[in-house]
Amino acid sequence: MKPIIPLLSLVLLLASAMPLRAQGNKQEPQQPQKFVALVEEAPKLTFFQGFTLSADVFGVAQRIFSDYATFEGALRLNLKNTFFPIVELGFATCDSEDANTFIRYKTNAPYLRVGVDFNMLKDKFQDNRLFLGARYGLSRYNFDISGPPIKDPVWGGSEPFSYTDIATTSHWLEIVVGVQVKVWRNFHMGWSVRYKREISSTKNQYAKPYYIPGFGTTTQTTAWGASYNLIFDLNWGKTKHTAREVTLTHRPLQQPTDTTSVTPSDSTLQQPQQQ
Amino acid sequence: MTQPHSMINKGQGAIICALCFVLSAMSCSSNNCPLESTVTCNYGFYDANGTAIAYNDTLTITTLLPGTKTQYTYQLFGHRTITSDVRIDSLLEKGYTETVSEVRRDTILGNRLAGLATMKLPMSFFSGRDTIILRYASISRRDTLYIQHSSFSNVDLPECGTHRFHTLTGIQATDAAIDHVEISNANVNYNGSENIRIYFNGIATEE
Repeated sequence: MKPIIPLLSLVLLLASAMPLRAQGNKQEPQQPQKFVALVEEAPKLTFFQGFTLSADVFGVAQRIFSDYATFEGALRLNLKNTFFPIVELGFATCDSEDANTFIRYKTNAPYLRVGVDFNMLKDKFQDNRLFLGARYGLSRYNFDISGPPIKDPVWGGSEPFSYTDIATTSHWLEIVVGVQVKVWRNFHMGWSVRYKREISSTKNQYAKPYYIPGFGTTTQTTAWGASYNLIFDLNWGKTKHTAREVTLTHRPLQQPTDTTSVTPSDSTLQQPQQQ
Repeated sequence: MTQPHSMINKGQGAIICALCFVLSAMSCSSNNCPLESTVTCNYGFYDANGTAIAYNDTLTITTLLPGTKTQYTYQLFGHRTITSDVRIDSLLEKGYTETVSEVRRDTILGNRLAGLATMKLPMSFFSGRDTIILRYASISRRDTLYIQHSSFSNVDLPECGTHRFHTLTGIQATDAAIDHVEISNANVNYNGSENIRIYFNGIATEE
């Protein structure tokens, strides 16, 4: 046991000497280490993102399989890639004759829709969009209606059935659901489905309008519509991806006795500098 | 590590599903032409006090048509007078005397109708005045209604064809069995509403 005692004494001596050395090193406090990191902030969208021009090709193609067609263009504002106030202007034609009654209805007239779309996608930065929107539609038009002569089955006699230029104004509302996907650069394509409800049309004793430009046929007070749009995004504003510089200081675990060289501002996060 | 953003969150998905359901449900309504699309002038029968009645006499209803026709009348003392649109030689052989006259054409709209509470009659398409004649089984006299109206063609939907609507502008009647008449709804179309009220003489009694 005796030879061990001097060895333990030596170890204790060395161990007790180490704190003294550390105390001696605090005379020159360690300079805070600064780390500068670029922390990307959540990107921001400017309010006005530009506008969009679009043309509907479905209405034109409709002429192939029906008696009516529409030629429609739209101008749409882009607000924060979320809200899209829109004006749709079109021209509709209808020349329809019923196969059983031989009653012919004809009109050619412009129409106007105004409304707003809402981009339902959570990620507002992507170029694809899922829309839910509403429209108010208006059309002032004249229509012609004609048919076989009217014959009185009891008293006899007949009279031609033909009325022209019946002036009418129609109003309606629409709910729009649609998608739009980026095809190439600012060129997008998209489709929409519309549910329309007629609000009112000018009353006329001779005939009810069979086809309202921009609304469609009036076999019911409601109608369905669809569009396939070629869309050109004309970006006005840019999406802003901002970053800030964050300065971090490395702080010792134990509070130094001499704090003269370490200022509070150095020991905390510096205020971010906005680019 | 960031989670990838889903394009549509649950709430938006629910809204879209609900919207699609509502829209598809709304599309199930059907388009129909009116089931009853015959345009008639509808008459209601009332007693002199305005109580709705079923008229218990037998009525034959005729109307005058444009133009005239030749009418043959056969009379023999002690026998009923016979009128016909064609000559009846057999009556001459029996001793009847024949009278030939030009009278307005007419047609029967309702023949021997008993217990009527209402009746539906057509209106002329192109004449401004209709003459309706009511003949009673129990009265020798007859009543005549003169109905003024305007008419116009109407198309609701091209697939439903053309209808001729009328607007009543005036009505007069003789007084054999009729107390008075009035227009209750001037618009004559296919919706079935009563247009003319005929008030007969007398008061209805409860049996």
